[in-house]
Formats: sequence, C-alpha cells, structure tokens
Amino acid sequence: MTEETPFRHRSIWHMVLAPVVWSLHFASVYAITAIDCAKTGTLDTAQLAIAALTLIALVLIAVITWRSWRQWDYLGDYTYVHDKPTVKHRREFLGHAGFLLGVVSVIGVIFVAMPALFIGSCQ
Amino acid sequence: MKRRAAICVLPFLLTACAGEQSVLDPAGRDAQVLSDLFWVMLAGAVVLWLFVNGLIFYVTRIAPRPLGRRAAEALIIGGGVVFPTIVLGALLIYALSEMPNQRASGEGLEVRVMAHQYWWRVEYWPDGASEPVISANEIRLPTGQRSEITLNAERVIHSFWIPALGGKTDLIPGRQTRMSLEPVRAGQFRGQCAEFCGESHAYMAFGAVTMPPEEFAAWLEAEAAPAKPPEGNEATRGAALFLSEGCGACHAVRGTAASGAVGPDLTHLASRRTLAAGILPMEKAALRDWVSDPARFKPGVEMPGFDHLTDAELEALASYLMGLT
Repeated sequence: MTEETPFRHRSIWHMVLAPVVWSLHFASVYAITAIDCAKTGTLDTAQLAIAALTLIALVLIAVITWRSWRQWDYLGDYTYVHDKPTVKHRREFLGHAGFLLGVVSVIGVIFVAMPALFIGSCQ
Repeated sequence: MKRRAAICVLPFLLTACAGEQSVLDPAGRDAQVLSDLFWVMLAGAVVLWLFVNGLIFYVTRIAPRPLGRRAAEALIIGGGVVFPTIVLGALLIYALSEMPNQRASGEGLEVRVMAHQYWWRVEYWPDGASEPVISANEIRLPTGQRSEITLNAERVIHSFWIPALGGKTDLIPGRQTRMSLEPVRAGQFRGQCAEFCGESHAYMAFGAVTMPPEEFAAWLEAEAAPAKPPEGNEATRGAALFLSEGCGACHAVRGTAASGAVGPDLTHLASRRTLAAGILPMEKAALRDWVSDPARFKPGVEMPGFDHLTDAELEALASYLMGLT
C-alpha cells in the first residue's frame, strides 16, 4: 500500500475531494429544483434527478473515502497522531483527514437530499 | 434565603409563556405543530445534555481510569459520530414530514394582505365573492377551517407572523406569496411584522381575532356595510372636519365622500382592537394624540400631523372616528 501511491503525501487534492463532490451535489440539487419549479411548477423531474445525483455522489464519496482509509492505514499500525515531518506521517495524515471528511460528506449529501423525499411541491 | 426567594419567583416567569403573542400558547393547528416540534427538540436536547455531562462526570470523577483502545474507539465513534447522526437524522425526518402540512392550501375564505410602511391593508374574499371587504391592521379568521392568506408588499420586504396561529411568511414587493392558517380556538391575539422594514418596523403590528364561523360571518357582513353616520353635534362637526381637512384624500370611509386608498380604510375603525397598526389602544385620547402628531408614535409614518387644529377640533375629529364602529 505504502509505495503504490508515491505522491499522495504531496497533494491535498485527494483529501478535499469528498467535500468537493458534496458541494457540487449541493449546488446541483438547488439549481435543478429552482429550474424545475420555474419551468414546470412541479418537482417530478427534479426529484428523479436529485435521486440520481445523490446516488452518483454517494458512490464517488464512498470510493474516495475507501481510498483515504487505505492511505491512512490505521489497521496497519493503529496510529492517529501524525506529527513527524516524514513522508509516512504526511501521507497518513492526509489519508486520515480525507477519511473523516468523507464520512462528513456522506452525511451531508444524505441530509441535503432528504427534503426532496418529503416535499413534493414548489410552494 | 435570597436564593430560595429567587427560586420561588421563577415559576411566575412562566406566565410570560402564555398570552396573545406566544408560540408556546398555540391557538392554531400550525402553531400546535411548531410548539410540539419545539418541545420534542427541547426534551431531546435536555436528555443529551444530561447524558454527555453525566458521562464526563463519570469518567473524570467517579471512575477515572484509562480506557482500552477498543472501548475508547467505541465511545468516540459510537457516541461522537453514529449516535448524533441518527438523532439529527430522526429530528430532520420528523421536521420535514411536518412541512407539507404547513403549506396546505386554504378553503373558503381568502384573506389578501398588502404590507405598507408601516401598516397592513386587508381584503376579505369569501368563497365566490366578486369584490372584497376592505379593512386594515386587523386580521379576523373563522375557527375550525383553513383560510388561505395571500401576501403582497408595497415597497420593501415585510414578514407576516401571528405566533399563536402559525409560522411566518415574507411579503415581497412585486411577488405574491401565500400561506394558510387554521385557528382551533376563538380568542384575541397579536401579530407582528417579522422582517426589518424601516425605522418603525417594531411599531408595525396588528390585532388578530379568531371567532366561531357563524360569529365571523356576522362580523364580515357588518364590516362590509357602509359607515354609520355621525351621532351628535361634536361627531357631526368632526365628520365635516374630516372632509375639509382632506383626510379623505388618503383614507376611505365607505358611504361618505372620503375614498382615498393611500392609507388604511377607516370605515369601521373603532371596531378594531388597536389603533395605528397595533401600537395604541382604541381610545379617544389616543386617537386625538395620534391625529395631532403621528410621527411621535411611529417615526417615518406617511401621515402628516394635524397639530394646527385646535383642541376642540381634534376632540370633534376623535369623536367622529370613535363613532365608526
């Protein structure tokens, strides 16, 4: 695991990818709802689109979170303190942070999508 | 001793939870739902507070010892991630499931409200009506049925809120918004503009009265009738002053030459509970003071002061207006 990903310790992109997916999902859901209400006055299309987008976002975040979990490699050494200026510590820190952000993003995406389940009108 | 006295006084503070403008003393179906939601959330918060603080007390005072890795992980992941997520998720589902009901459409009566700085124009459109019954600064609704409320604003955003009856909805210039209210018991309540709308925002309130349907129908019929003619010399002089001073350019008194639509309709002014959109009692002295200098009570009001009138003239004017029941 450690040598397969030689440059992940230098990039924060992978760490912030899950919240990026969450924010794109958030913006799309709001935009689609507004457009559907303005054009048709109903939420039928928007509800389907939100369901599809939510599924895609959850799959993407699950993949990112799984990769972060492996990068953290917690079960390898049970460390959650990454305070040394070494490649291993940087890599595990970024994996650890990316994993936690992934968990938050899953919850965020579900909570953002939930109103579409209950509210079926544009009022 | 001091502390005991303070504790004895505390229950009396609870009386502030009742009253005509309290979300904790609901008189409408929507307000009841919101109040239930508040109590459920409060109960949940209290239980969580006791649980978390109890746990802290336990591990720091009662049994302070290091936890094993597995126990610590279970505590942090279980108590810090899984448990709050489930609790918040359940509360979110509960709140969301109530939201469609809050947007239900009304049946029968429609009340159209137009918010001005700083008063409310109110039109009652009973089912099938071709023209409205016009009133101002007071909302009356029948109990036991859901009335549709249509909302508009003249110049700036306001918000319509009768805490005892339901939630609030913004009134937006150039755009129609709506809500509905279903009062469940008859009573007198108070509404308030809930969105900052200018210097007299805090003085933009209104009376709200809920009545049994048959009483409401009788009231609406009376409200639709033209104004009573003045009774007595003083009121008759007041009626003449009302027209000669130009009050009718802004105010309508149906059945007279006064037909202005700039300010509130005064046809049945004295039958309302309050004067000047909920800020003064409907009394002769208050009416006289108001007419003489409205800006003293409501800064930024569009109505000019009539302090050039003599005391006798103001008295006559107030006499006339108090007769408009």
